[in-house]
Amino acid sequence: MRRITELAVIISLILGVSVLLVLAASILIPGVEVRQLAFFYLYTTINPWFQNYTVNSPEAVTAIVWDYRGLDTLFETSVFYLALIAGLALARGLFSETLQGSFNEKTSGLSTIVKTVTRVTAPMIIAVGASIGLHGHLTPGGGFQGGATIAVIPLVFIVVYSAFFLIARGVTSNKMLVLRSIGLLGIGFISIATFLIGLAIGRFAYVFQNMPKPGAIVGLPADINGALISGTLWFFNLFEMIAVAAGFTIAFIILLLAGRGGSGGR
Amino acid sequence: MLDLFILIIRYISLALITLGGFASVVAAIGFYRFKNFYLRLHPLTINTIWGCVFPLTGISLLTIILEELGAYKWFMAGASFITALIVLMLAPAGSHAIARGVHKSRTARVKPCIADLLDKDLCG
Repeated sequence: MRRITELAVIISLILGVSVLLVLAASILIPGVEVRQLAFFYLYTTINPWFQNYTVNSPEAVTAIVWDYRGLDTLFETSVFYLALIAGLALARGLFSETLQGSFNEKTSGLSTIVKTVTRVTAPMIIAVGASIGLHGHLTPGGGFQGGATIAVIPLVFIVVYSAFFLIARGVTSNKMLVLRSIGLLGIGFISIATFLIGLAIGRFAYVFQNMPKPGAIVGLPADINGALISGTLWFFNLFEMIAVAAGFTIAFIILLLAGRGGSGGR
Repeated sequence: MLDLFILIIRYISLALITLGGFASVVAAIGFYRFKNFYLRLHPLTINTIWGCVFPLTGISLLTIILEELGAYKWFMAGASFITALIVLMLAPAGSHAIARGVHKSRTARVKPCIADLLDKDLCG
């Protein structure tokens, strides 16, 4: 009976979604105005002959995420930050990061083979993460993806060595929180950087402005000595990478220490 | 002389890619045929080393001599070669960690068993 009910639920879900899709496809055809919008994005994302509207970034996704709808991304980052703060506040006192009893680096964790390979691959992971993050305005990727890649390192080290290995090396959740706050402050500062420059030189400028716009000719440089940085995009990616890497590290430390049943404060 | 060299490289790389395909099929049969967990780790590593590292090396060689790709051939060749190196390093460590973890946690029994010198209770 239970199996039949499950089957009925699955079949009705599939049929319902199919009907919805058919209806949506026949009724909700995007209007011509929406297509114009996509055309505008692709036309202006890098266009040296359209200087007052372009973002100067060949990667349209990053341009949209951090320039056209940058304010939205700022709030997304803030929500992630607040979620971590709430998690830390909820878990305070449940576990302690100070080691109770003795911790021997040689005997804890997996075998020497795995430890050696982890040591060799960790710098490669950092290089890949930094490349994904800092080339976010040129190739697919960006700050979040780069930061998430770098956050694999603490996870691998916690699994292969132990959570206390990281803590003994000084990677505590408090320090990571400081790093994460620096990342978020950096994002906040970059978002008003053009506005501050405009204020300093007495010209009109918007908050979250990147390149010069009609009526607001202040803007960050598109390249430094020929290397394209797309104004604010490179800085946003850098700070987002720091913030996300630190944020995920906090989450891993909390989850894996709490998963051990806590080493103190019980 | 150069043409002959390119021809040899082409055949070597194609042979490596074919070998990878063949090894993947062999590994799939091994997954199906081998009786216990520790034996099945063997086709797992056949698939990662023979079925992944060798074809990637072959692709790396092949793209170097493919003039049609233009400058992009160096990107493809480099990426394939680095990936092959990383897999060559990570796959044995990974399968070793899996085998060791499973044996230490006594999750999988060695069956059929001739000898298990590390833990006699797991035998059979």
